Amino acid sequence: MALRLQALSKSYGGKTVIDALSLEATSGDIVTVFGPSGGGKTVLLRLIAGIEVPESGQVLIDGTDMTYATPDARGIGMAFQNYALFPHMSAYDNVASALTPRKLGESEIRSRVNHIVRLLKIDHVMGHKPRELSNGQKQRTALARALVGAPKILLLDDPLRNVDAKLRYEMRLELPVLLRKFGSTVLYVTQDYKEAMAIGNRIAVLIAGRIVQVATPSEIYDRPATVEVARLFGDPGINLFDVTPDTDGRVAIANAQLSIGAEFASAAGVPCVLGIRPDAITVSQTANGATFPVDVVAETPLNDRSVLLLRTADGKEVLAALPASAAGTTPIGAAHAAFASASALMFDRARGLSIARGARP
Amino acid sequence: MTATDATSPPASAAQSPARVRLLPYLLSLPALLVCIGILLPFFTAAYYSLLRWRLNLPAMKGFIGFDNYIAFAKDPAFWNTVYISLLYTVLTVVLELLLGLGIALLLRQSTRLNNFISIMLLLPLMTAPALAALMWKLMTNPNFGILSYFVSLLGVHDFKWGSDPHTALFTVVLVDIWVYTPFIMILLLAGLRSLPKQPFEAAALDGVPWSFVFFRITLPMLLPYIITAVLFRLLDSIQQFDIIYAMTQGGPGDSLVVFQVQAYLMFFQNTNVGKSAAMLMVLWLITNILSNFFIKHWLRLRERAHGHA
Amino acid sequence: MATPRDPGMDHTSTLEKVLRGVALTAIAVFFMFPIFWILLMSLQTNETILRIPPSIVFEPTLSNYTALISGKLTSAAGTLDIAFMHNLWNSILLSTLSVLLALLLGVPAAYAFARFKFRLGEFIAFTLLSFRFAPPLLVLLPLSLIFQYLGLADTYIGLIWVYQLIALPLILWIVRGYFEDISPDIEHAYRIAGHSWLNTFLRIAVPLARPGIAAAGLLAFIFCWNNFIFALILASADKQPVTVGALAFVTASGIQYGQIAAAIVLSVTPTLLLALYAQRYLVEGLSMGAVKG
Repeated sequence: MALRLQALSKSYGGKTVIDALSLEATSGDIVTVFGPSGGGKTVLLRLIAGIEVPESGQVLIDGTDMTYATPDARGIGMAFQNYALFPHMSAYDNVASALTPRKLGESEIRSRVNHIVRLLKIDHVMGHKPRELSNGQKQRTALARALVGAPKILLLDDPLRNVDAKLRYEMRLELPVLLRKFGSTVLYVTQDYKEAMAIGNRIAVLIAGRIVQVATPSEIYDRPATVEVARLFGDPGINLFDVTPDTDGRVAIANAQLSIGAEFASAAGVPCVLGIRPDAITVSQTANGATFPVDVVAETPLNDRSVLLLRTADGKEVLAALPASAAGTTPIGAAHAAFASASALMFDRARGLSIARGARP
Repeated sequence: MTATDATSPPASAAQSPARVRLLPYLLSLPALLVCIGILLPFFTAAYYSLLRWRLNLPAMKGFIGFDNYIAFAKDPAFWNTVYISLLYTVLTVVLELLLGLGIALLLRQSTRLNNFISIMLLLPLMTAPALAALMWKLMTNPNFGILSYFVSLLGVHDFKWGSDPHTALFTVVLVDIWVYTPFIMILLLAGLRSLPKQPFEAAALDGVPWSFVFFRITLPMLLPYIITAVLFRLLDSIQQFDIIYAMTQGGPGDSLVVFQVQAYLMFFQNTNVGKSAAMLMVLWLITNILSNFFIKHWLRLRERAHGHA
Repeated sequence: MATPRDPGMDHTSTLEKVLRGVALTAIAVFFMFPIFWILLMSLQTNETILRIPPSIVFEPTLSNYTALISGKLTSAAGTLDIAFMHNLWNSILLSTLSVLLALLLGVPAAYAFARFKFRLGEFIAFTLLSFRFAPPLLVLLPLSLIFQYLGLADTYIGLIWVYQLIALPLILWIVRGYFEDISPDIEHAYRIAGHSWLNTFLRIAVPLARPGIAAAGLLAFIFCWNNFIFALILASADKQPVTVGALAFVTASGIQYGQIAAAIVLSVTPTLLLALYAQRYLVEGLSMGAVKG
């Protein structure tokens, strides 16, 4: 196990920031740590790097207890959100700084640095000082510094955050390839769910200091563990309805009875939250099958889709997402909305935990 | 965060590498030694102030509690010291504040001339006060002093400057003003130049009279700098030694015996350890009260200057 | 007086401009005249000095300076040995060594105060700060007795140690601010790259704080050089710096005004030059960081 975190806890001034957190990553694994701001993502990285010390718990790197080891003894590479480049050194020296503590020759250092900066396409700015570089170049220099030492563990703290949109999109495609090439175990922190899904083999969702779910991107999207996770992934956000299923696995939405599958009969009578993603909702003028009446209020383009704002008779707003090709085909006014029962996600209203089909809540 | 938490002992402190926790203590060891080097003599002096002890009468050394202080309260010489010290302090601080503020206002705009002048004005401040006193002593020499000459041109002959008890205070205050006004000036100038421009631009557009702008906008915004400058000066002026000692050694007579000068004379001329220590403790009490008030205010200012709490 | 800057129109009337010019001239004259005059005096022979009315036009002479530098004062009454050059050397030695020692001790301590929160640090900072404002004699008088005890009375080391009381607090307060201004993540990044704490301190923290360290050092030098009372009380005759030495010189040589003036010029020039060199940092140094220039 390349990296194991065991029941880590950290608080600042009485406020718990990391709460008995456990996580494992194998060698070469790329794990995105995703969550809303204030959730503790940066603190987590700092605990692993040794910049902060936990109140309890353990950090194990390759099986060795490194909880209290100093940062220079951990064999870690880290790229900070604000780059943290050394302002008084050239970009080359910045990158080389990760190699100078080892007793390598000057030429060996030079060849390793050149190799990586060529990969990251910043070889032409190596002579400059950080303040002369663009944000994208600074970010890649920080990345080069983190990577050049071929660390066992690579910690990336939202590296694309301050980079302009076009470059961010490019890097989002290049980074996973690069990271896989190096083979380090990577923890990648981001606040952007699309980035999280693009970059990681697995996503660890960190909310309020706790890891709520660790799974592959598709699992997180299709089978979120909590309402919160479902809400965080998806743009526009998931539609949520407070419902109580009956013994036939049907729920009431806008006075219509809709089936979400007989497997949910075991949840009969339990107050639940039903989640339907906007792309799972279809809108038509006719009421075939199980539908509920809505009013189409507005239509807005969003990225590669068109989003319809629907309103039910009892005032609830529902979003439906259509492919861009279908834009403008839905008239404003009364219509019928439906969804496939298979796309229903159910959560226990009291604790927000998902209810699997057939399971007892 | 500006500090790592590596040294605030967590629950599992026992496992923390000892070296990291010791580090700040190791680093500040010399500073600690200096502190001890200050505190030891301080407490020694406090102890001495409770003794009757003259170096040339060692047999009479004895513990007398607060008698030295009580004797002061009844001693007109002590009250003379208090009076002169306060007079000196008030005169220097008030005059330097007014003059310093005036100059700062004149130099407010950042023109090349103004900046050149403000740099030149630093020079008196960087002169050793004792040497400044010497310079002025030469200039006020009754025989060849240029100032005596100027004054004689105005019809005043035989102005005794530092040798006359009536004019000695005026003379040393003049030297003090020469040395220390630039201190207030550069502090207030830095303050003035750091003030936001909008209120003044708005006032100019609205045609607000300058007296209103000055008293209701400029001064209030400048207040923290004024307080800093005034407190620094108050605390230094009441302990003034160099200028007065270099000029007249406290004379003529006892016209210039401010606290530290008096204490010095008591120790080195009268070899009276007890009384000089007591006098210094009284002075320390005054400055301590003032500086405690000031330190709180100052620390807040310092944090503002560095942009974090 | 407080006219805001308006690049478009000139609001100041001619009268205001004239008044302002007069005021500035008067101020410049008041503050610059003494230095200028003493400089003149130092280039005059005694008889020129004693001439009334005093004149600006005269034949300048360097005899005062040569007398000081050579250490011999030849007059009608004979030859007098002047030890003033020795005072100058004492000033240089004391100030330089004191500042170097204070930097060596103070810069790491300033780093500790900036980066760690520990109770001892708060205590030290508070003590040093509060004694900045305490009467020096309070500490010096007992020290003069203690020094006899410890045999430090006639030594440079004793003086250098005592001068730490002047230099160290200044360095601590100024340099601390500069360390605080360095983002801690930069140091963390260097550590993570594999460097020890010491390397990080020497290669990252200190270079980045260098302007502050230089400023603090220069200011501390000026304050040490200008110090009078410490030296008056604790320095034996052959260890006295120029501040005390010049005063003694006055009493000793009595009538040699030109040389006194030259001595003053020599004593004052180093700090004036340093002040001009470091003037950017003076506001911050003098207010101990409360005001940033």
